[in-house]
Amino acid sequence: MFKRGATKKAQIMSLEEAVKRYAKDGMMVAFGGFTAFNRNPIAFSWEMVRQGKKNIHVIDRHGSACTWILNAAGAIKIYETDWMGWGELAGKLDVNMERTYKAGKMILEDYSHGAMAMRFLAGAIGAPFIPYYAPQGSDLYNPKYDALGKAGMRDGKNPKIAKKKFMEMADPFFNTGNVVLLPAARADLAVVHVAQCGEKGTARWRGIGTIDKEICFAADKVVILCEEIVPESELRKNPEDNQIPYFVVDAIVECPWGAYPSSVPYYYDYDAPFLRGMDAASRNPEDMKKWKDDWVFSPKSWEDMITKVGAKRMLDLRADSTLGYSTRLLRGKKPAPRMTVPLSVARSGY
Amino acid sequence: MAKTMEQLMDLIDKIPDEPAKPGEFILPELMAIQIAHQVRDDDIVFAGTGLPMVGIMTANFINAPHALLIYEAGICDGKTMHVPMSVCDHRAANLCSSLGGLVDTFGFYLQQGFVSLGFLGGAAIDKYGGVNVTCIGDYWKPTHRFTGSGGNSDIGTMAKRTAFIILQEKRRFLDRNEYTTTPGWWCWDFKTNEWKPKREVWKGTPFADSGPVVVVTNMANYKFDKNGEIYLDTFHPGVTVDQIKENCGFALNVKNVSGETKKPTYRELFVLREFVDAELIFLPQKVEYPASLKKLIKG
Repeated sequence: MFKRGATKKAQIMSLEEAVKRYAKDGMMVAFGGFTAFNRNPIAFSWEMVRQGKKNIHVIDRHGSACTWILNAAGAIKIYETDWMGWGELAGKLDVNMERTYKAGKMILEDYSHGAMAMRFLAGAIGAPFIPYYAPQGSDLYNPKYDALGKAGMRDGKNPKIAKKKFMEMADPFFNTGNVVLLPAARADLAVVHVAQCGEKGTARWRGIGTIDKEICFAADKVVILCEEIVPESELRKNPEDNQIPYFVVDAIVECPWGAYPSSVPYYYDYDAPFLRGMDAASRNPEDMKKWKDDWVFSPKSWEDMITKVGAKRMLDLRADSTLGYSTRLLRGKKPAPRMTVPLSVARSGY
Repeated sequence: MAKTMEQLMDLIDKIPDEPAKPGEFILPELMAIQIAHQVRDDDIVFAGTGLPMVGIMTANFINAPHALLIYEAGICDGKTMHVPMSVCDHRAANLCSSLGGLVDTFGFYLQQGFVSLGFLGGAAIDKYGGVNVTCIGDYWKPTHRFTGSGGNSDIGTMAKRTAFIILQEKRRFLDRNEYTTTPGWWCWDFKTNEWKPKREVWKGTPFADSGPVVVVTNMANYKFDKNGEIYLDTFHPGVTVDQIKENCGFALNVKNVSGETKKPTYRELFVLREFVDAELIFLPQKVEYPASLKKLIKG
C-alpha cells in the first residue's frame, strides 16, 4: 500500500472548490455520519448534485440524506451498502431509491451493518481483508447473489472492487467453526462533517463516532466539512477529544449548518419535519423534481439554502448546550417535556 | 397547572399495577409493553430502530432499569430522557457510559459475545424464525425491495437471544422466506446446498446456540420449540386462535398455547404515555385514562 509517504498539507477551501477538485465522475465515495440523523456531510453531496457529478459508486454502511439527494439526481451508479433506508422514523426506506433500483438504473450490492463496519476497519488498518462471523445461512452470503460479480465488475480492472464478494473458511487457528472473509473497503474519497477542525486539519466531533475515523483512514482522499475552523492550538489542549489527525486530511471546508437537516450534537438538532417532507416528496417523481428545484437548484449557495430554512426553524433546532440536542423542536404532536433526570436513573440509579 | 415531570414521577407508585380493560389501551401500546417484558434487568440489549427502541426504553423505565442498552451507532448504556427517533439520535446517548462507533458495537460488544438480547423488526418471517428484510419476489427483479439487513442479520445471529416484532399477515408468516436476511433455527448451508439446523451450519462458532426466542406481532406472542419451530404462546385480547391461524402462511403449532397475552397495567401505560412517548411521536393516538386515574394524574 504505502499510499502516502509524507505528511501533506490540508488546504482550506470553499465548498464549490472542494467538490470541483475532489469529486469526480465514476469515483468511489464514502460519506460520514449516521442515517439521515447525525452529521451527514449533506452540503457536499448537495453541491455534487449542483455540479452534475455522475456515475458515483457509493460505498457506505447505510443510506443517508447524502445518498438520498444523490439518488434524487440519478447520480448513483453503484451502491455497496447494508441498508437502503435513510430516514429511520422520518421515512425508513428511500422510496425513490427503490424506484431507481427496480428500474434497473443502479447496481446494489448487499452486505450487513457489522460486515460493512468490519470492511471499513480492514481498509483503515491497511489489511486486505478481515474475518467476521457474518451470518452463515443468510442470503447475503449466497454465492448466487453477487451483484458486482453478475455485472462483470469483479475482474480486477478496478483496484477498488474486490475480486470476490466474500469467502468462507474454517478458522485455521482456534477451530471455532467457519468465518467469512470480507474484502477491505477503500474508497477514493471520504467526506465527513465534524464540529470543529483546526487550520491544519485536526478534527473533532462530539457524540457518536459512527465509522467516520475508519472511512477517513481507508480512503485515498479526505474532505472534512466543519461547523467552524478553530485554532489548532485550541484543539491540542485536549487532544484526547480529537478523532482525526491532520495528516490524513486533504481539504477543509468551513460550512456552518452544512449537515442540515441532520444533526451536529451540541450545535443543532435534526429537522424531523423537514426530513418527513423529503420522504413525502420522494413518493412521486413530480414532487421530487419540485423539491430539487426548490431546495437544490434555486438557492444561490449553501448559505442561501440555510437562509431559506429560516431563522425561526434554526432557533428551534439550536442545540441545548448541556444536552447536545434541542428540546424546543416539535418532533411529534406534543412539545418535549422538561426533564432533569431520566426516570430509570431517578428510581434505580445507574 | 400541568404537573411537572418530577411530580409525575412521584405519582408512579400510586398508579394501580392492575390490568387495564379492553378499550383503555391501543394495540401498539400492548406490543411495546410485550417487548418490555422480554428484557431482564441484567440483559445487555441491542435494539433496532422503531418500536423495538420504544419497547426497550419502556423496559428500562418499568421492569429492567439496569438493563444496558446498546444502540448501533456507538452508544453504550444510554439513559434516555427523550425518546430517540434514530439509533444515532443524541437523545439515546444521554448520560451513557461510553460513546464509540460501529466497530465498538458490532465488534467489541456483539461479536465479542456480550450481547444477551437483540430486539429487531422484520418484513417477513419463516417458521424457524428466519427473517426477511430485503425483498419480495426475485432478488434481481423484486416486486418490493426493502431496506436490506442493516444490523438485523448481525444482531439476530450473534445476540444470545433475539426477539422480533413483526406485523402479522399471511404473506409475512411463511413456510420459507423468498430471501433470508437473518437466518433462524434452520437455514441454508451454501457449502453443501442443504437446509439444516443452524446449530450444524454454525457448529464450532461461539454463536451456534444463539437465535430467535420470541416473536411479538399485532395478534399474538410466539416462542420456539426444541426443534427450532415457532409455536403460538399467547393470543392478544380480542383475537382468536382461528384468526391467528388464518393470518399465518403455514400450519401453525397451536398445541402449547398458554393463554391470553397479559393486558398492560395502568402503571405500565402511565409510564409509556407520560415518560417514553410524551411527545406523541410513536403512538400518536392515545386513549383516555379512566376517570379515577385522570383525576389522580391531572390532580
